[in-house]
Amino acid sequence: MPSTITTDVLVIGAGPAGSMTAKWAAMKGARVLMIEKRQEIGSPVRCGEGMSKSWLPEVGIRPSSRWINLEVEGARIFSPREQAYVINEKHAGNEVGYVVERDAFDKQLAIDAGNAGVDVKLKTAALSLLKEGRQVVGARVKEYGETYDIRAPVTIGADGFESQVGRWAGIPTNLALRDMDSCLQYRMTNVDSDVRYCDFYLGKVAPGGYVWIFPKGDGLANVGIGVQCSQIKGPGEARKYLDAWIANHPAYSKGKKIDMVGGGVSISPPLKQTVADGIMLVGDAARMIDPLTGGGIANGCIAGKICGEVAAEAVELRTPTKEFFQKYEKGWRARLEEKLYRNWIAKEKLCSLPDEVFDKVIEALQSIKLEKLSVHNILKAVNQTHPEVTREFAELL
Amino acid sequence: MPGKKDLHIESSGQLCIYCGACVGMCPLNCIYLDETRITFDERICTRCEICVKACPVAAIEIG
Ligand SMILES: Cc1cc2nc3c(=O)[nH]c(=O)nc-3n(C[C@H](O)[C@H](O)[C@H](O)COP(=O)(O)OP(=O)(O)OC[C@H]3O[C@@H](n4cnc5c(N)ncnc54)[C@H](O)[C@@H]3O)c2cc1C
Ligand code: SF4
Ligand code: SF4
Repeated sequence: MPSTITTDVLVIGAGPAGSMTAKWAAMKGARVLMIEKRQEIGSPVRCGEGMSKSWLPEVGIRPSSRWINLEVEGARIFSPREQAYVINEKHAGNEVGYVVERDAFDKQLAIDAGNAGVDVKLKTAALSLLKEGRQVVGARVKEYGETYDIRAPVTIGADGFESQVGRWAGIPTNLALRDMDSCLQYRMTNVDSDVRYCDFYLGKVAPGGYVWIFPKGDGLANVGIGVQCSQIKGPGEARKYLDAWIANHPAYSKGKKIDMVGGGVSISPPLKQTVADGIMLVGDAARMIDPLTGGGIANGCIAGKICGEVAAEAVELRTPTKEFFQKYEKGWRARLEEKLYRNWIAKEKLCSLPDEVFDKVIEALQSIKLEKLSVHNILKAVNQTHPEVTREFAELL
Repeated sequence: MPGKKDLHIESSGQLCIYCGACVGMCPLNCIYLDETRITFDERICTRCEICVKACPVAAIEIG
């Protein structure tokens, strides 16, 4: 029999969602242990490193030059004909924001968790869940080659897109091919990107997804791609599309690649269920990425705070049940679900648009001034000049 | 299993970048990622080829 240690809350995965959950559970008085299978939190970076900033105060993150790379003025959306539509801070509210050093950001959140009293174990991977009947009561883990059990009334699956914890718990987290993107990104130096904007290129260059350029200053930028899996026909297409895009853009083809990362991104509607007896899922593991933008840092942190608070409460009241965890389920849904669902519908439509229609949409947007940017307002605007385009989107209008 | 095609994950680092996309997308949850090692469970895999699409760098082949 492997040896056993105990804690109140076991958090599996030390990404932003895990650290945030751990920190808030500890701040509410629980004993928290967070395990991470990598040897270094935040590294290697698997991220474009773009994020909005409006949500930071809500979860108690103080902006810091330790992890903010630069602040952008806005975003530019390029149509297939490469006409740019500029979204600036004024009409996007606080949605535009920072390009960050993701490894430093993740480390800072782990530091905040540690300072709140969370214990952290590196190079410690969850291998399976411990169960008593249907109740999850912890996990079997391997730390530096040694296998043992961690028992906890509350277990949190914060193990990212590659999550296995949810599936071990029997929570349906599998997604349709059209609801997943295969992603690849190079960090490139010696490129001419505009440090004022995060750029997005839509259309056939990245079927069902987009090419992104997030500037990091001094000729450095993250140049990446997401391609909808249902539109992929053969092996390695994400890389082929990205290399082709770079080859066709002299401002980037002259650049040099200094880093390469990949990953999966969910572009799905919200899951029906994110909790079971003794366990809650959070962040990418709960498929909380915004299906339109592909951004998941903010949602993972926002849900993490709620998850941590509910976890501590369940420990205190000794009620780590699926019924009690509805408080988390309701909490994160009240905050995120409507937007996730709307943006998923918008993504579904956008993925099916031919390049000519994209061109028209961007043209229409260029010709009008929007007060506040939202999917709804964009559609209303396009409807005025190109009603044939928005017919498809009637249910969102 | 007779009738199953060969599935090969190039995981020695020549192609694989250990990104975990295949792990997250395998509907049978039968691919495992250590920091620098990818393995899959031959017995469970149905050769649905989703992991081939997931992989951004063509490290997985079925043939
Ligand atoms: C190429 C790419 C670009 C992206 N760009 C952006 C972007 O620009 N902006 C944005 O907001 N989002 C972006 N995302 C999405 C973003 O990276 C995720 O939404 C975010 O990392 C989710 O945080 P998380 O804490 O849920 O999971 P993660 O950050 O993935 O953390 C999960 C952690 O769990 C660990 N783990 C996994 N399994 C186990 C186990 N069995 N035992 C112990 N530990 C385990 C992992 O090692 C990892 O550290 C991008 C994603 C990709 C792939
Ligand atoms: S072929 Fe399908 S079942 Fe087999 S490892 Fe790949 S994704 Fe999993
Ligand atoms: S998707 Fe490809 S590169 Fe990524 S871990 Fe799987 S085999 Fe390796």
